[in-house]
Amino acid sequence: MAAANGFREGLLEAVPTLRAFAVSLSKNADRADDLVQETLVKAWDKQASFQPGTNLKAWLFTILRNEFYSQMRKRKREVEDVDGSMTARLSVHPSQDGSSDLADFRKALALLPEDQREAIILIGASGFSYEEAAEICGCAVGTIKSRVSRARARLQEILAIEGEGDFGPDAISTQVTNSAALA
Amino acid sequence: MGSEAGKDKKMEHRKFETIRDARKRQNGTDPLGANSEIARKLKQYYDDIVSEKIPDRFTSLLSQLEEREGPSSTTEKD
Repeated sequence: MAAANGFREGLLEAVPTLRAFAVSLSKNADRADDLVQETLVKAWDKQASFQPGTNLKAWLFTILRNEFYSQMRKRKREVEDVDGSMTARLSVHPSQDGSSDLADFRKALALLPEDQREAIILIGASGFSYEEAAEICGCAVGTIKSRVSRARARLQEILAIEGEGDFGPDAISTQVTNSAALA
Repeated sequence: MGSEAGKDKKMEHRKFETIRDARKRQNGTDPLGANSEIARKLKQYYDDIVSEKIPDRFTSLLSQLEEREGPSSTTEKD
């Protein structure tokens, strides 16, 4: 019973960071919370396969990530978002609207390809090491490094363009989308 | 005058170091640059979501799961 309590507490503790990762991946707050819910259920069912003392957070991130990509494969035919215009609109998290610096950053982040976005989030925000991130994504450490590097360069490029003037949110997203199309 | 030339050389050397360090940061050990503007914004973006209150649906979900007791009962482990 004590072990079960510890596991439950561990899951609960991880919820805030799982939500942040899920929002970053799915770019949609409702979908993100569904992803977290699915992750918790899966983790609960698989708890016998979790080795106590190992990194619970990394284990949960792996489950969430797998869930995200398997859902995405299923949805791929339903929603085609080739140019990222939909992405820019979906990217606003309800508690984070407004035309701040942060809103611009969120839009820029949403324009990155999934693999680059998840790499820069895992390393720069979730606090994982390159080795842990590589394990979560099932790829080589060098791959994570180059993705983070490309993500950073791309964000700098997009944000430098945005920083030129004080536009409304729509003007900015149009500008971002256009510049992305041109790039 | 010799000291003047030495100073110039030193400056040049320092400049070279900086460029090399910057290149190292981009290609090598730390592609993100922990103190960069991007790193700071990334943290801010993420922590904003992390600091939100945990929605009730998750606490009640975990209670439900606990009541249901996992498929492989946790007491089996001991």
